[in-house]
Amino acid sequence: MASFQQASLEQTNLRQATVVTLVLVTCLASAALAETKKEYRFTVGANANISVDTQYGAISVRPGSGNQVVVMATLKSDNVEVDQQQNGNRIEIASHLLQGADQQTGQVDYELLIPPDATLNLRSSTGPLSAERLQGDLTLEGADAVVNVRDVDNGHVHVRTMRGPITLTDVRNGHVEVVSISGDIHLKSVTGPLVQANSGRGKIFYDGDFGSGGNYRFTTHTGDIEALVPADVSADFRAHSVLGRVRHDFPLQPKHSRFSAEAGRSFFGTVGKAASDVVLRSFSGKIRLKQR
Amino acid sequence: MKCSDVERVLPELLDGAPDGAFPADFETHVKSCPACSNLVSDLKLISSEARQLAATEEPAPRVWLRIAAELRAEGLISDAAIREPESAPTRPILVPTSRRPRWSARWLAPVAAAVVAAGSYVVSHKPAPQVAKQQAPATRVASPIPETPAATSASAPTPAPRQMAQKPAKPTDTIRPAVEPESSEEDQQFLTAVSTRAPSMRTTYENQLKAVNADIRETQAYVDRNPGDTDARQHLMDAYEQKALLYQIALDRIQ
Amino acid sequence: MRDSLGKFVQRKEFEAASERLAAGKGDLTDPKQGITEAEAIEQAKQGREAAFEVLYHLHKRRVYSLCLRMVSNPAQAEDLAQEAFLQLFRKIATFRGESAFSTWLHRMTVNVVLMQLRKKGLPVVSLEETLAANDEAPKKEFGTKDVKLTGSIDRLQLQRAIDRLPPGYRTVFVLHDIEGFEHNEIAQIVGCSIGNSKSQLHKARLKLRDYLTFMRAEKAKTG
Repeated sequence: MASFQQASLEQTNLRQATVVTLVLVTCLASAALAETKKEYRFTVGANANISVDTQYGAISVRPGSGNQVVVMATLKSDNVEVDQQQNGNRIEIASHLLQGADQQTGQVDYELLIPPDATLNLRSSTGPLSAERLQGDLTLEGADAVVNVRDVDNGHVHVRTMRGPITLTDVRNGHVEVVSISGDIHLKSVTGPLVQANSGRGKIFYDGDFGSGGNYRFTTHTGDIEALVPADVSADFRAHSVLGRVRHDFPLQPKHSRFSAEAGRSFFGTVGKAASDVVLRSFSGKIRLKQR
Repeated sequence: MKCSDVERVLPELLDGAPDGAFPADFETHVKSCPACSNLVSDLKLISSEARQLAATEEPAPRVWLRIAAELRAEGLISDAAIREPESAPTRPILVPTSRRPRWSARWLAPVAAAVVAAGSYVVSHKPAPQVAKQQAPATRVASPIPETPAATSASAPTPAPRQMAQKPAKPTDTIRPAVEPESSEEDQQFLTAVSTRAPSMRTTYENQLKAVNADIRETQAYVDRNPGDTDARQHLMDAYEQKALLYQIALDRIQ
Repeated sequence: MRDSLGKFVQRKEFEAASERLAAGKGDLTDPKQGITEAEAIEQAKQGREAAFEVLYHLHKRRVYSLCLRMVSNPAQAEDLAQEAFLQLFRKIATFRGESAFSTWLHRMTVNVVLMQLRKKGLPVVSLEETLAANDEAPKKEFGTKDVKLTGSIDRLQLQRAIDRLPPGYRTVFVLHDIEGFEHNEIAQIVGCSIGNSKSQLHKARLKLRDYLTFMRAEKAKTG
């Protein structure tokens, strides 16, 4: 009985020791992964140029007040630091990894409040990247990053990713160029003098009116292209898939004599006054022009 | 002076009158004639606003890639001869020297450029398919490219890929691109570099590379069968540009 | 269509090129501004890629914008900008600095564009132009309308209006009002008289005024 009690006591001690060790390890691990928040403020003039470059982490940008740029950075560990530099109207923010940093410990999430007219350059391998309610030129680049851009007027919007899905909503009056190797591209109410989207293996969805008398160029290699447009659209359409099928719901008026349609593989013609020029091209994806 | 007189002299006066000083009779008429007054101010406004359109447009990165590829092809670039020594100091833009050095993947840039050049070449030359199958891969890029990356990575040696440009130049009527889409040496070195510097990204980049190479292969096969299909040729060019984009993303993102 | 890469990394590329040159130079104070144009020209003469790249990034916007204004087609403008830079780089060894490098490049770009226009049979400068048949802008009589483009002109609208100009008018307008060439220079470049250049410019401005007025009216109608 005594030996049983002894054994039981030893087991209890062992359990307690294990628990203590686990707690210690957890605390140490938590300390190593302790989040740090930092805030930087800059004063800029009109049309400032702001760049944020991080290997891992989210970047989101919204309009702030006045001529202030506020950068709130959340560092996931001590293995990464933030460099910031202002040179007149140009602000550069970059996180850099220290020895041993990985995707988890090297992560820095950024939130920015900026003057809406600023030119913005955002880069992150992992993303997500988001920007909204701005009027300056935007460049967003990422490898695996999800990209969201919303409510941009007059600014040019350039996006490129390796495979993150890209969504642009309510973007007007600028040049829009979106390219991805395999990410899907969603364009909702995106109009302007030049709207280009290119994805090798991703799909392209367009939901809008092809307005502004612009040039719209959508290209995929294997991905499908689908455009959902109102009946009163005014555009000159050309669509061709080398190996895929094409379909449309519109009474297209033939116009281009040098472009010969191949049944099921291409269509062309105008709707309305043909104010905009729309070209949809795919190598083996399906192309569908749908009436809303 | 009448409106018709204004019409006659305006082309001469609008840009010729110093500081906008017009002849008195011209001024008198314009002041009293709303139509001519509006016209003169509008034309001045158009002229002044037009000035703001200078240098506003940004060309796509491919423009430089093509220029660089052409300069190399013409032998105008000769960096190899005057490459700075390996011990040249690093000059990071933001990162202090005491920290982990950034890996320079700039050797990828000429590869990306050459990928586009190779793609351009395929697109712009209509090959005879049967010849294509008989000839060995060759390149139109003639001049050497540095074997080592720029000095910024002196303390972090990077792979020294044997660039396609170092292969003997063949006559420009060869019809295959320099970069074989599958398992080219550049691709292997690219993946090795990714494994070394960003192991967590290796699988992603490898899968993307395989996908792009498969697209190139598929399109090349179609173009070989349908050499007159200009749209397919353009898709082939686009596929090469996708591969160049992959290299460029790596160039920008891997540190 | 070769428009899959987009306009993304120029600034970074410029900095990288500048950095590479500066690293070799060793007396850099500001990595982004570390190489002067004159130094880049000298190093380009020796065949350094980074020097070519710096020169490209210094002037690409001006060259490309000029090409785009003249031909109103991004893909074609890219080809022309590429050709202009290539011509310049091929001759860079002969550059002795008698004129500004930018002037030299600028002139070369104009020549490349004009040569292309001539090749395509488009008028570089025209004596008489009429509105294209499908032009939506109404023909208006000089000096009789009571219209005014008050305030400022929207940049995109102006660009769109310029795109609609007949090539002959567009050439002179772009060279004079956008690029700042004098009439005597334009006359020499395009091969017309100074009077003709002035007349073309005036007609181009009148047309632009009509287009812009029309665009505003259309916009007002559609709300």
